[in-house]
Amino acid sequence: MKSLRRFFSRLFSSATRRGQEARLREEIAEHIALQTSDNIRAGMSPIDARRQACIKFGAIESMKEEFRAERGFVLLENLHQDIRFAIRSLRRTPGLALFVVLTLALGIGITSSVFSMLDALVFRPYPVPNSGNVVSLNSTTHDSAFEDFSYREYLDLRDKTSSYDGLVANTTMEAVGFSAEPQASPRIKGGMMVSGNYFHVLGVEPTLGRGFRMDEDQAPGRDAVVVLGPEFWKHEFASDPSVLGRTVHLNSTNFIVIGVAPDTFPGMLIFAHPDFYIPLSMARVFATNAQKNFFEDRDDRELAVRGRLKPTVSLRQAQNEVAVLAENLQSQYPDVNRGRGATVHTQFEMRTRPDDGNWKFAVIFIILSLAVLLVACTNVAGLLLSRARARTREIAVRLAIGAGRLRLIRLLLTESAILAFLGGLTGVAVGYGIIAWFQSYKNVIFMSDLPVLVPFQMDQRVLAVTLLLSAASALACGLVPALQSSRADLVNGLKSADVDLPGRKYLWGRNALVIAQVSTSLMLLAAAFLMYRGFQVLVLGGVGFPTDHVLIASFDPRLLQYNTAQTQNFYKLLAQRVRETSGVENASFSQNIPLSDEGFDALSFVPDNFQMPPDRDHFTSGSDAVDEHYFDTMRIPILRGRGFLSSDAADNPPVVVVNEQFAHHYWPASNALGKRIRLGGHSGTLLEIVGIAKTTSYVDSGEKPMDFIYLPLAQHPVPHLTLMIRSAGDPLQLVQPVKEIVRTLDANLPMMQTMSYQEFYLNKAVRGPGIAVKLVAGMGLIGLFLAVAGLYGVMVYNVSRRTREIGIRMAIGARSSDVLRLVLAKGLALVGAGTAIGLIMGFAVERLMDSLLFNAGRVDTFVYLIVVPSLFAITLLAAYLPARRASRIAPTQALRYE
Amino acid sequence: MSTPSKSKADVLQGTLALMVLKTLDVLGPLHGYGIARRIEQISGDLLAVNQGTLYPVLLKLEQEGAIASEWGASENNRRARFYELTREGRKQLQAETQDWQQTAAIIARFFQLKKEDWS
Repeated sequence: MKSLRRFFSRLFSSATRRGQEARLREEIAEHIALQTSDNIRAGMSPIDARRQACIKFGAIESMKEEFRAERGFVLLENLHQDIRFAIRSLRRTPGLALFVVLTLALGIGITSSVFSMLDALVFRPYPVPNSGNVVSLNSTTHDSAFEDFSYREYLDLRDKTSSYDGLVANTTMEAVGFSAEPQASPRIKGGMMVSGNYFHVLGVEPTLGRGFRMDEDQAPGRDAVVVLGPEFWKHEFASDPSVLGRTVHLNSTNFIVIGVAPDTFPGMLIFAHPDFYIPLSMARVFATNAQKNFFEDRDDRELAVRGRLKPTVSLRQAQNEVAVLAENLQSQYPDVNRGRGATVHTQFEMRTRPDDGNWKFAVIFIILSLAVLLVACTNVAGLLLSRARARTREIAVRLAIGAGRLRLIRLLLTESAILAFLGGLTGVAVGYGIIAWFQSYKNVIFMSDLPVLVPFQMDQRVLAVTLLLSAASALACGLVPALQSSRADLVNGLKSADVDLPGRKYLWGRNALVIAQVSTSLMLLAAAFLMYRGFQVLVLGGVGFPTDHVLIASFDPRLLQYNTAQTQNFYKLLAQRVRETSGVENASFSQNIPLSDEGFDALSFVPDNFQMPPDRDHFTSGSDAVDEHYFDTMRIPILRGRGFLSSDAADNPPVVVVNEQFAHHYWPASNALGKRIRLGGHSGTLLEIVGIAKTTSYVDSGEKPMDFIYLPLAQHPVPHLTLMIRSAGDPLQLVQPVKEIVRTLDANLPMMQTMSYQEFYLNKAVRGPGIAVKLVAGMGLIGLFLAVAGLYGVMVYNVSRRTREIGIRMAIGARSSDVLRLVLAKGLALVGAGTAIGLIMGFAVERLMDSLLFNAGRVDTFVYLIVVPSLFAITLLAAYLPARRASRIAPTQALRYE
Repeated sequence: MSTPSKSKADVLQGTLALMVLKTLDVLGPLHGYGIARRIEQISGDLLAVNQGTLYPVLLKLEQEGAIASEWGASENNRRARFYELTREGRKQLQAETQDWQQTAAIIARFFQLKKEDWS
């Protein structure tokens, strides 16, 4: 109790130091004054009286020390002193301090901004309470372990499982026509269809109104209710609380607003925040596939299913359970569930799924940015080491008059901590800059009419990591110099500023720093070049058809609740009138835009009369539904057979066009023309292959050739289509005429994604990847710059340290070329060793990039042929300049040097 | 902090603290110089060497809550800090007086020992 009280009063008095100090002074003065007047009364002369009073009081300063020690915490006091001293001594070399701070800021800023990426893509937890036990359930096939479930399958799982405190399902609605008033023409928004228990199970409490009730996803089409997302509510309704009970129009259907989701729950997606939530029972209003019945068809798999694992159930138990349930489904519904399993994934597994490239880039980036930080730290460590060396005499004096070694190390570490702290602060600014730079590419990356968000931000998590990085770099760049310089040899240290003339012990540390710098920056440069080359291959590879002189525009008549006949009529009139427009060479419809991210449906099929491998019962292939003008419009050559004809209509024999890759894949020896495939499973429709098209790129430019099936649009109608117009001149000239045609057909139907295909292609295949290349190239250049600066600094230092030695050598007959060779040899050795290690690291990082990004699996010698010699040349130059200066030293001057 | 004479200083400080408490107990509120003079009067030249050592002891006692201090006017009408025993200080004094007397009694008995007492 007593000690606790003393602790607090000490803590308090540490804080009020100045007041205490003044009080003590006053007390001492009064004490001595009283003693003096007593002495005078006793008969002394005033001067003597005061003298005697002071003597009697004793040594004031040592008493004060004791008083201070009694009063506060020595450690805290010392820290305060250290900080003041460190700031003072840093101020004495402002240039160096600035350079160090900027170097660290670059390293820390890059790393923290890249971490914000990795955090958003991988680590950031779901914005729900106890997010740790939210897991994803996935349907699995031979090809993928991350497939969705159908509505029926979800119901089966939900009712039969016992591992979860609730199982929720949701599916995103990419483009929904929204209007607050019935007359207003709809605008495109993005929403989420969810099961009735969605908010309840996730533990999300609406700020306003209520979430869905369980019974609201029971009867198809009955409960037209909507819960608004927090941002949507703010922007569209100005946070008006009276929005509850109002009617809004989604795809021209009335929905009643029943609630608003809280700010803390922007949704479960990474790249978008849903504008609103609709119960699954309203799926018909938003059906994506007109031929499927969402509520009945077991193979209409569109639902992402998540569950809250019970605390008593382990992940493995849940996986076993769902595997058994999937086996039951297989035997119950062999038609649609054969070969289909199910499994449970954690959030982390979902975010790091092998078929998603984003997080892989983030991993590569974080490795490279840590390398930049490493180079920055070694650079700063080298500088501080040189600086500590210049302070040898000061440190020797401190040691000589009794400073403890630990105290000295602490002092020096305080200096590097201050530098790192300032570096961290500036680094936050740098990080902000880089993130803002990312944000400015938002439209290039996403190319969507919907408001998307780049989820990288400087939040508390990233700031915490930045702080951690600063602390780590303070230790990394301060510890070695502090340890070394506090071990100084007192006798020599006091005699001369140059302590370790004979010893080599201290040098290896500095050499290791240079080697680390050179090798790390070689790795960075190699990575930058590899990435550049990788994308160059992708871009130069082309896509297999001309991308210019094409205008694209997408339509979705579901937004206005067109029925099938209306939809077909609209598209027929649209095509007809567009073709009549001057400047239009051809026009066609397709379900998908080539190279779009939205993904071609993976079509499962069985080739007729084909010997299936024993372990699988169907294959999958990319597919698209296109009309009879598509191959002409896109200039994709038909190599054999024919393209689609207007006679390939709904009632005529079903046909299909495959690409060359497909034909060669399944019928390598014979002609694929006339062969047939079954869609779906063994009981599906038989389609005859009537044409073989040239293999082009479908998902990415420069991708490996993949199987592809074209279906005739007339036999496989879909409501959401993209109009592709081949123009004679500038395709953008056609935007206005097309808009006019659409307006006369239906003024309320929005045109989406209207742009030239060239623009689409450039964003997708050139500019998007270019961001990554720029980022990595930037890191490589910074690494190279820092390494050169570090090497130069060390060489200059070495030369100045050996000035006298060189003078002696020259005095006894060495020529300047000998000196040049002597100094340069040292630099060469360092660069050589660094290059060797850097090559090894480069190969390692190439392996990693290959396995994660390019799947190339080979060593790109060209990269090393460029990078290694240029790095060698640049670093050698950094070594040569000081060496030349050394060779010009006049012996007379050098000997007098000191 | 770590000086070789620490142990000696601590002993001195311990006794000094006890003296301060006793002085304040008997005489009531006093300023630093007053305490020093009284102790000097009673103890002879124990404090004659270094009156200044008194102040760290006063601070320590104040931080422990044994004494309290406030500003007041000294004899020559200037500001001086007056120290006063608190209730806790009085308790501490009682306890330490007992301790001290016990220790003193034991030590006294040892000094009275003669060789015959061991046989």
